[in-house]
Amino acid sequence: MRTAVTARLFFNQALHRPTPILEFLLPSFTVPQTRIHYASITTSSSSPNTEPSPSSLESPTSNKRRKPLSKTQRDFLDRVLRVNQAGELAATLIYTHQTSPITRAHPHLRSLMHHMYSQEAGHFSTFNQMLAKHRIRPTAMYPIWSAAASALGWGTGLMGREAAMACTEAVETEIGGHYNGQVRILLGWVKEMEDKGEEVGEEVRELVSTLKRIRDEELEHLDEAVGEGAREAKPYEFLNRVIRSGCKGAIWISERV
Amino acid sequence: MGPTRPLHAVFLRHPAPLRSNLVWQCSRSYHSYEHEAPPPFTPTEDAILSAALAHVPTHGFTNTALTQGARDAGYLDVSTNLFPAGAFSIVKYHLVTQRLALARHASSLQSQSDITTKIRKLALHRLHANEPIVHHWQEALALLSTARHLPTSLRELALLSDELLFLAGSTTVTSAWYTNRAALAAIYASAELFMTQDKSKGFTETEKFLKRRLEEGEKIRGGLDMVGKWVGMQAGGLVDGLRSKGVWI
Repeated sequence: MRTAVTARLFFNQALHRPTPILEFLLPSFTVPQTRIHYASITTSSSSPNTEPSPSSLESPTSNKRRKPLSKTQRDFLDRVLRVNQAGELAATLIYTHQTSPITRAHPHLRSLMHHMYSQEAGHFSTFNQMLAKHRIRPTAMYPIWSAAASALGWGTGLMGREAAMACTEAVETEIGGHYNGQVRILLGWVKEMEDKGEEVGEEVRELVSTLKRIRDEELEHLDEAVGEGAREAKPYEFLNRVIRSGCKGAIWISERV
Repeated sequence: MGPTRPLHAVFLRHPAPLRSNLVWQCSRSYHSYEHEAPPPFTPTEDAILSAALAHVPTHGFTNTALTQGARDAGYLDVSTNLFPAGAFSIVKYHLVTQRLALARHASSLQSQSDITTKIRKLALHRLHANEPIVHHWQEALALLSTARHLPTSLRELALLSDELLFLAGSTTVTSAWYTNRAALAAIYASAELFMTQDKSKGFTETEKFLKRRLEEGEKIRGGLDMVGKWVGMQAGGLVDGLRSKGVWI
């Protein structure tokens, strides 16, 4: 008897609270959507705190790695370096074509645009050298990515400052996440090599530090773009989704061809 | 394959479905400088095939040469069963070992000469490696072009083209990476075929043929570059002109 009363009391309270517990039973269109979907990546220019920093990265004992990298590892490097080059090619072209319309409308952005462009150009030449040195073929979609990136840069540049910054934010979010994944996998290798007592080798060590530096610079661009009002872009959601899925698709294709 | 045939015709002589293979077969993975690549053949294969290659000038690319090679290396006749591809394995052995031998020659090239000269010298060095067996090379080409072995042959050709460009110091990593390799593969293959018919002393005619083909390639590339630059300049000029008129582009 007592339990029945308690139960009725509980359900009465639950149903008449300002936000009922059973909200999820109602069709979602009756609930007003007030939440704004922001990009999921942490917008921060610093490396994640959780990132391990193995001791062998800082204190090299000898320069050469004796045991060759496995076939899977070489294939992985082949794929990611090809994607990185394609990504930096696109980034360079996006900034090149955004700069002219943006700096005419907002002269104060000239130094920022130049700064971001020159960093991207530096990354691009770094990856070009890596590809030539390690005999990795560039993506076969090279001319298509060039055209698409130029069009994207020019288009968002014409749409105005906010749209251009939203484009930067979307691209850098994807790229930052992509680099983060690579750094994570490479650090995994380093840890595995250390556990086995193997020498990590100059090549892998250098690659990790280069990727970390580039990743941090990309995330810096992300912060700057958000600071310049990327989220005030008119169809922000639309731009963000379209550009990010475009980036994902391009990464997927460039890994393969 | 007359000496007057232009470069694009050489490329177009390959059957259409195979042209893309000239390019796609190049795929190799990340090249590390910290260790030697594993040798392509086991010691046994190496012993038998190199001995068999010594018999090619007399017996040609045949199973007889392979059997003789196995005997010379101290193995039983039945050990030729190691090579299910038969005589083709001698051809492949020759192609692979000569391609890898190029790296040793490359260090002797002068560093100041330009890439085209280096490519020509390397390709010529590679062609001269065919000299001892050149009168049997048409048999090898016949074996290489059978349907069963075509993928391997195209891959070898593509790898050779990649090797020549890499050793010559080409650092192009744009879409020209593909066209350079395809063009060089086509030029090399035609020069190799030309060499089998060459009766001149020291294969000077082949040398001239190779030089002409490479110069043509340079001309075509230079011309395309110029057209590209011109179009780019005109488009840039048009956009700048419109911007100066106040058009919002």
